[in-house]
Amino acid sequence: MDPRLEHIQLSTRRHFFKNCQLGLGGLALASLLPDRLFPNARAAAPQAVINPLAPKQPHFAAKAKRVIYLHLTGSPPHLDLYDYKPQLVKLNGQPCPDEMLKGKRFAFTSGKPNLLGTPRTFAQYGQGGVWLSDAIPNLHTVADEMCVIKAMTTDQFNHAPAELLLYTGSPRPGRPSMGAWATYGLGSENENLPGFVVLISSGVQPNGGKNSFGSGFLPSVYQGVQCRSKGDPVLYASDPPGMSRDLRRESLDALRDLNEIQAQELGHPETLTRIAQYELAFRMQTAVPEVMDISRESQATLDAYGVQLGAASFGNNCLLARRLVEQGVRFVQLFDWGWDFHGTNPGEDIRDGLTNKCKTMDKPIAALINDLKARGLLDETLIVCGGEFGRTPFREGRTAAGSVLGRDHYPDCYSMWLAGGGVKGGFSHGESDELGFSIARDKVHIHDLQATILHLLGFDHTRLVYRFQGRDYRLTDVHGEVVRGIVA
Amino acid sequence: MPRIPSRWVLSLLVGCLSVHAAAAQTPPQRLNYSRDIQPILSNNCFSCHGPDADERKGGNDGLRLDTPAGAAEDLGGHRAIEPGNPDKSEVVRRIGSTDDDERMPPPETGKKLTAEEIALLTEWIRQGGEYTGHWAYIKPVRPVLPAVENRVWPRNAIDYFVLARLEREGLRPAPEADRYALIRRVSLDLTGLPPTVAEAEAFAHDADPQAYEKLVDRLLQSSAYGEYWARSWLDLARYADSAGYADDPPRTIWLYRDYVIRSYNDNKPFDQFTVEQIAGDLLPDPTPEQLTATAFHRNTQTNNEGGTNDEEFRNVAIVDRVNTTLAVWMGTTIACAQCHNHKFDPITQQEYFRLFAFFNNTEDADRRDESPLLSVFSDEQQHLRGELERELASLNETLRGQSPEQAATRKRIEELTRQLAEIKPQTVPIQRELAADKRRATKIQHRGSFLDVGDEVSEGTPQTFPPLPTGAPVDRLALARWLVDDDNPLTARVIANRYWEQLFGIGIVASSEDFGSRGDLPSHSELLDALATELVRSGWDAKAFLRLLVTSAAYRQSSRVTPELEQRDPDNRLLARGPRVRLSAETIRDQALFVAGLLSTKLYGPPVNPPQPTVGLSAAFGGGIDWQTSPGEDRYRRAIYTTWRRSNPYPSMTTFDAPNRETCTLHRSRTNTPLQALVTLNDPVYVEAAQALARRIVREGGATAEDRASFGLRICLLRDGKPAEVARLAQLYERSRSRFANSPDEAKRLATDPLGPLPAGMVDGELAAWTVVANVLLNLDETLMKR
Repeated sequence: MDPRLEHIQLSTRRHFFKNCQLGLGGLALASLLPDRLFPNARAAAPQAVINPLAPKQPHFAAKAKRVIYLHLTGSPPHLDLYDYKPQLVKLNGQPCPDEMLKGKRFAFTSGKPNLLGTPRTFAQYGQGGVWLSDAIPNLHTVADEMCVIKAMTTDQFNHAPAELLLYTGSPRPGRPSMGAWATYGLGSENENLPGFVVLISSGVQPNGGKNSFGSGFLPSVYQGVQCRSKGDPVLYASDPPGMSRDLRRESLDALRDLNEIQAQELGHPETLTRIAQYELAFRMQTAVPEVMDISRESQATLDAYGVQLGAASFGNNCLLARRLVEQGVRFVQLFDWGWDFHGTNPGEDIRDGLTNKCKTMDKPIAALINDLKARGLLDETLIVCGGEFGRTPFREGRTAAGSVLGRDHYPDCYSMWLAGGGVKGGFSHGESDELGFSIARDKVHIHDLQATILHLLGFDHTRLVYRFQGRDYRLTDVHGEVVRGIVA
Repeated sequence: MPRIPSRWVLSLLVGCLSVHAAAAQTPPQRLNYSRDIQPILSNNCFSCHGPDADERKGGNDGLRLDTPAGAAEDLGGHRAIEPGNPDKSEVVRRIGSTDDDERMPPPETGKKLTAEEIALLTEWIRQGGEYTGHWAYIKPVRPVLPAVENRVWPRNAIDYFVLARLEREGLRPAPEADRYALIRRVSLDLTGLPPTVAEAEAFAHDADPQAYEKLVDRLLQSSAYGEYWARSWLDLARYADSAGYADDPPRTIWLYRDYVIRSYNDNKPFDQFTVEQIAGDLLPDPTPEQLTATAFHRNTQTNNEGGTNDEEFRNVAIVDRVNTTLAVWMGTTIACAQCHNHKFDPITQQEYFRLFAFFNNTEDADRRDESPLLSVFSDEQQHLRGELERELASLNETLRGQSPEQAATRKRIEELTRQLAEIKPQTVPIQRELAADKRRATKIQHRGSFLDVGDEVSEGTPQTFPPLPTGAPVDRLALARWLVDDDNPLTARVIANRYWEQLFGIGIVASSEDFGSRGDLPSHSELLDALATELVRSGWDAKAFLRLLVTSAAYRQSSRVTPELEQRDPDNRLLARGPRVRLSAETIRDQALFVAGLLSTKLYGPPVNPPQPTVGLSAAFGGGIDWQTSPGEDRYRRAIYTTWRRSNPYPSMTTFDAPNRETCTLHRSRTNTPLQALVTLNDPVYVEAAQALARRIVREGGATAEDRASFGLRICLLRDGKPAEVARLAQLYERSRSRFANSPDEAKRLATDPLGPLPAGMVDGELAAWTVVANVLLNLDETLMKR
């Protein structure tokens, strides 16, 4: 090939590393180098040279290679799903003890609320004897894959700040999200797909808007890309009306030829980068609709997930999540609106309302776990499921006089669960006190959860950093301890 | 520890400095603390041995390495730094130790000094270990022009500094860019729009020796100048048309955006621009314009989510105002000091809250209605109101008794009163100081929590910096004047550097957002000081300053680069060539609409909604995020007028690195990604631009495919196409047209959807094929770049 082009390509690679400031602590730069070298600019590979999503090695051997994060926006009532409190049931309807309320603030409750024992029935499931309620019958069958943390705590009791704290380590908008950090650190295993994909069901954005999956101050290439099963699977992925794929190829050939003339003329490496990005975009235009097309799945699979073809349902998104991680996408983030069980309407009642909402979630999640397991992917895929905080052990103040049973936001003590990807299955970690107000043992703060997720992905959370405005930032801010107790 | 042979030290120094001071080739005679040593200590040692006593290992009595007194403290028979004697310095022993328990920094911090850094520290101590103050905190003085060998090249003072460095490096400046490249570059840089072909031709053939300077003056007078330069200020001001957080409701604050555009176009001196925005309400008898300016700090977010505590989020907004003020004007990252003493720069938590106190007494308090608001009638409305009021007054005069005529008069009066009431003023949130009896006390907030407070503090500025002007009340107005005071060492440097960065693609201080001890050192420190002092001397005249920059020989160089130079100086820190960087999100869009002949030149007014994809989602607890496309020319307004919703910023611009404007953005990245390619290839906005460009090409571009291809290249790139380029595009046209010959429906769609039916005489197949070509033209690397 032209020695000049070759030179530009070589320097492009160096240029990229320099400009992207991959300040990955102890990550050896050499490990960032893609394995393919620099063939002819026209061949399929030069994008590997400059692809910021090229796979990278973490700090140490990872338990999990990828993450599926199932976010139940609004925060489900954990006391009616995972954390069984018989004493609270016994004291149902009694006023909250003063010491439980002292010095606390709640979003919608003031004065002295009444305790609310769960109206649901609980039992232990699987070899591990994990406690689960009757609202999630399908999860009973996969209890031995679940690792339930019953001692979660966060600092925020309003949705948006709590969700941002969970995903970015800070309650204020502006920092990179967990998926962006993971993609920044690990790259993606499939260069034809975005490294970090977001799937939204129930028609509402997450509380933090795009910040909950944004790249903050990291380069925008690491932000979550929202994919959809209807319309353009990725924004602007479809060629304009009237332009066939062949014609698009034809036009990109011409574009590449003109850009190459320009590269020869001015000698700027970025021109070659751009040529490569257009080739990548062209392949993405095919790869994304393919992976998003769930109608290619067998009827048995569709039935297992409870898929409704053409809808943006949580079930469809669970199946899409499996298809995406199977194709090497690093981080798949689901957001499902409608878990804010205040009790302001019958849909938010922790009896029938919760049963109905859980029907849309319980079956597909169990199917996802089984499906990943059957394909040998569960061991290296971490599943995380939960809300941005928990819900109170008492009835929410505004709705206490009505007939609908609801709970207020509660940050001090709540539950979430993980599965696969290097965590202990059939396992419960931590405990709340007998009324569920505070943590009795093995507290896990949001920053600890983040540190643990990064740990499972092979990172020391204190070393996955990015220098911005004079400071080394990380997902865990200046906090976070890995929860060793849940690591298998 | 093993002794390091001095010869080896020196050879290391050569290698090291060429890395960290952008290709310096010769070792300095003498190491400089601020330039060579402080960055190493700051990055590796200060978090435990720095200014913050709370975090310092050993607390108040612990070892400090950021001050000479601390470093010289008796540690029990030995000292951390023994000036002139590395062998007796504990620091040298510890950083060179191979014992994990002894070695500094401790292995568990994940930090490790390189051999070069160890060599530098050792050599600095050998030279006497002298501490000098941080360069950026020392007031700049106007440097003398350096001597240069090449007396012909320099056009103004800038060039002497640039050339002196190049000559030292053994490099030569690039020749001047050709006139076509130059007019495109300077037009994009000053107005955010390319020139027309006619303007480019006129400039290329202008024999006046002052042709370029005339061009620059014309561009600076254009109203497009303010529209372009306001954009980067709005990133700093975190201007958006929504209030932020979960529901992110619309916020009416566009009068502030227009204030910024007008201020640039009027060339308002930067010190006045500063004072108006920080404290316009405290000026004597503030005008509506000065009050509108205070919306700068009303661009903070308001949390309307149910169950949130207004006082909590009012505090968050004040924190944002403190951080933004220090970052925008002084390049100082102060956020750390909200929760604890700054670890790297000498700012204590107490000093942080003394700054907080300046902002803590405005009326606004995280309210849903965004009060206090200023109501303003536009000139047009004022005029109409005047007319109505005059008629009303005269009718009232004539009104007496009861008669049929008077009944008509009464009816008219009612009508006029109704019309008057219907003229609604525009509103803008403003800052207004609380009444004396309602003032809030400011207390230090532990760990940044507004509920956990300590000692009360009064307004004041950090000790590291010069004092406030004396003889005036200590309030926001004093703070504003302090920011632009002649003695402030930072503001002029920071502002000058930001202008430089906009034009050259990278600042003289590359970390334009951080001039503190962890920031980058200037590549040309004397040049920066020359520019900073010149900015102040000119009376903060932005247009004069930009004129100085763009008329320099340094700016006018060709951007062509040799492999050797690219290898040696990939970021163009040495300025041996002209700037070539990707255009901003807004400019890429504006340029596409401009060359297509679609761009509206309408100035100012409420935000507009250009086409964006329908996604069918709502904001959390808020309304839908889809919008109705604005009718008429509002569809084609400049990007600065696009509705900026924080939770859902305009998607195609986000892809090109536009921020969401939730907080102050000091620096946009410039990525190059496949999703960007999808935007400019497929976004209906760009498809529409390609269709319109195709129609222009057919209408104005001559008869043959080659003529038309050349014409398209000239419109987009402002240069003649090379024969190979023209031939390739003509070939693409022919091939596309033959494809469309067999698919008339597709041809029609590609030629008309979404732009609309073709004018009489134009043929679908032909126009569709030219749309394919135009789509390629809008996606050329050269189109997306400043050349």
